[in-house]
Amino acid sequence: MDLFLQLFFNGLTNGSYYALLGVGFGLIFATTKIVHFAYGPIFACAAYAAWWAASLGVPLPLAGVFAVAVAAVLGVASFLVIYRPIQVRGAPGLVALIASLGLFILLENLLGIVFGAGNKVIENVNYDVFFLGPVFFTSIHLWQIASLAILGGALFLFLRYTRFGKAIVAMTDNREMAEIIGIDTTRMAIAVFAIGSALSAVPAVLILLKDGATTHMGFQAVFMAFVTVVVGGIGSIRGAVVGGFALGLVQSLGLWKIPTEWQSSIAFVVLFLILVARPQGLFGASRL
Amino acid sequence: MSRTDSAAAAAETASGTEVVLAVRGLGAGYGRKRVVHDVSLALGEREVLLMLGHNGAGKTTLLRAIFGLGKPMGGSVSYHGRDITGRKAAENVTDGLAYVPQGHGVFRTLSVADNLELGGFVEPRSALLAERRERVFELFPILAERRSQTAGTLSGGQQQMLAIGMALMHEPRVILLDEPSIGLAPNLVERVMQAVVTINRTMGVAILMVEQNVQLSLPIAQRALVLKTGAVVYDGPPDPLRDHVELMKLF
Repeated sequence: MDLFLQLFFNGLTNGSYYALLGVGFGLIFATTKIVHFAYGPIFACAAYAAWWAASLGVPLPLAGVFAVAVAAVLGVASFLVIYRPIQVRGAPGLVALIASLGLFILLENLLGIVFGAGNKVIENVNYDVFFLGPVFFTSIHLWQIASLAILGGALFLFLRYTRFGKAIVAMTDNREMAEIIGIDTTRMAIAVFAIGSALSAVPAVLILLKDGATTHMGFQAVFMAFVTVVVGGIGSIRGAVVGGFALGLVQSLGLWKIPTEWQSSIAFVVLFLILVARPQGLFGASRL
Repeated sequence: MSRTDSAAAAAETASGTEVVLAVRGLGAGYGRKRVVHDVSLALGEREVLLMLGHNGAGKTTLLRAIFGLGKPMGGSVSYHGRDITGRKAAENVTDGLAYVPQGHGVFRTLSVADNLELGGFVEPRSALLAERRERVFELFPILAERRSQTAGTLSGGQQQMLAIGMALMHEPRVILLDEPSIGLAPNLVERVMQAVVTINRTMGVAILMVEQNVQLSLPIAQRALVLKTGAVVYDGPPDPLRDHVELMKLF
């Protein structure tokens, strides 16, 4: 039972991590219809940016802000330099998908060239350790949960209640109609790439503090974000949150009965089962 | 070129009003395929100009090209005498030109109220928007009743009313209306045509309307235009078309 509780808590923290990644990735996909796989290495770049700033002696919160800025700039740049020219020429969605894979490889290798291989860790990070009954956790775990609650909640309110946010939702619903009523869809796409990428920087910094950064960390991030979004339903924030928790909990609780080396396979199995039972995802696109 | 130009010029003098929207020699299509050839037309102030034509005659393509969706292949569009050829839709909307597309011109996952609010997206002053929304509710009381309902769950007729209402939210001077009767029951078609009349007569909006329902749309038009395989074959008063034996051939 003690093990179960610990695994359950791990599932919740991993779930919030996946959910936040999914919210950012899903926002970009739902609005622009671009499968932005380079989301992964941009996430990694954010972690490296924070590590680099911190290694120069920049205080951690400022290094985090720097990471958010780097991710937002890279996200917007990938839209303006790669995806937009492709869309303007009327190429099918598959072309943008291939381009995003190319960008993925390019960015990941650039990280390796600039920073070298090996795990980058920030030395002497002070965090608190807690015991709640049999469950062990640190303040980083709490930040993972809090960041989802704060950022996911803020994004929800932004999309639901502001004029600009509603315009983004409208574009998700019907891009051409959005254009017809005078919404500048290019400007909205830029905003969405900035917001989605900035969101990914927060879990990136937390993972850096928890496990350190590697050049390959982006793959797992974008893969889990992708599964989360497909499981939860494209275009739905609460879907991404539910999908993230479902994935985190299933993965973690699976360890109770299944050997550790199967942990990443569990994600595939969950994806497969959900796609068979509910191809539109748990929520579909009908609810924010 | 000269033939169609003179036709448009004749129409201008016939209606006797100032031209708000003038199309000259416009070509349009998709990819490399040209669907509309060298079309000229003029829409007068406060006029309802009806555009008839068989399926695939290029009516929708023409409206889209006028509104700046898809690049025009030659020719020009001017609005109040200024060239707006291929201008961004957002600029057209701000300038008082609205487009109501065929079929589901609404955001299906959003509420009626949100749809109307988005219709007024280019107008940031919320007091003005509230005023305009009241006017839309006056015209279509059913929308007021359904304001918190999701647009996708409305009937076809209600969705069409909402689509027109969204266009009214940006207080246009000209509306390009693409087949508002499509898929509607006859009594609803009449209801929508009445609304078109109100928008035109009471609010003074000029309307370029594409329709297939000749019977119900001809009586409300001041002038009619027939498009056949992408070119204008008739431009003049609606009456001669009413029991025109050739009408069947035109379609």
